[in-house]
Amino acid sequence: MTGMEEYPNGNEGSFNSEEADGLVKECIEAVVGGDDYSLNHVNKWTASIVERCLTQLVKQGKPYKYIVTCAVMQKTGAGLHTANSCYWDTAVDGSCTVRWENRTMYCVVSVFAVAIP
Amino acid sequence: MEGSDTYLIRPNHQYKFKSAIVKECIREIVRERLSGMLYDSEEVSELSRSLADDIKDKVKNAGFDRYKLVVQVVIGEQRGQGVKMSSRCLWDADTDNYAEDVFMNDSLFCVVAVFGSYYY
Repeated sequence: MTGMEEYPNGNEGSFNSEEADGLVKECIEAVVGGDDYSLNHVNKWTASIVERCLTQLVKQGKPYKYIVTCAVMQKTGAGLHTANSCYWDTAVDGSCTVRWENRTMYCVVSVFAVAIP
Repeated sequence: MEGSDTYLIRPNHQYKFKSAIVKECIREIVRERLSGMLYDSEEVSELSRSLADDIKDKVKNAGFDRYKLVVQVVIGEQRGQGVKMSSRCLWDADTDNYAEDVFMNDSLFCVVAVFGSYYY
């Protein structure tokens, strides 16, 4: 059968990490923007940041599965390192990590997007 | 990476991402590499990177075909601070899963999370 039509998928392309970066920063600001580190609230904060990021990402409507992680740490002069290693299709999958801080705490959010074929 | 079409939308029970097995993989590597180690700011960045790569290779060789893996390693110094880590995933709960482990000694703490996503 000749002349088979290919329906172009307009959304194909790799994960846009700048867009995700901006989105995540906005979510962090909205949840912990002006607050100081508080043991009583930290559970709530990490849960809200992560949920908010996920809902915003999903609103984009792209064919991706998302993994969002968030670490909140009190500032006491201690050091923190995060590293990640991923086994995926580099053409379509991607990640983005955002480091944010205020006077009393650090917040590191990582977003991993895995394409659905 | 994985090119062949198998038209399988669900992995067989044996090939599912089993948290317990992956958790054991993580545990072995972390305990072996970090027991007795002190937090040193120059070394730790190289250490966390190599830990992530080693764990990824080990899980890959454990035979989870058609699974895309994300391994995240967080190492921090112990100075009496409070830390909270959480994660949320939007995926197919039937086929995808994760495993995590926390290691602590007197001078550092290490959290490892491995997420597996099935490639349909």
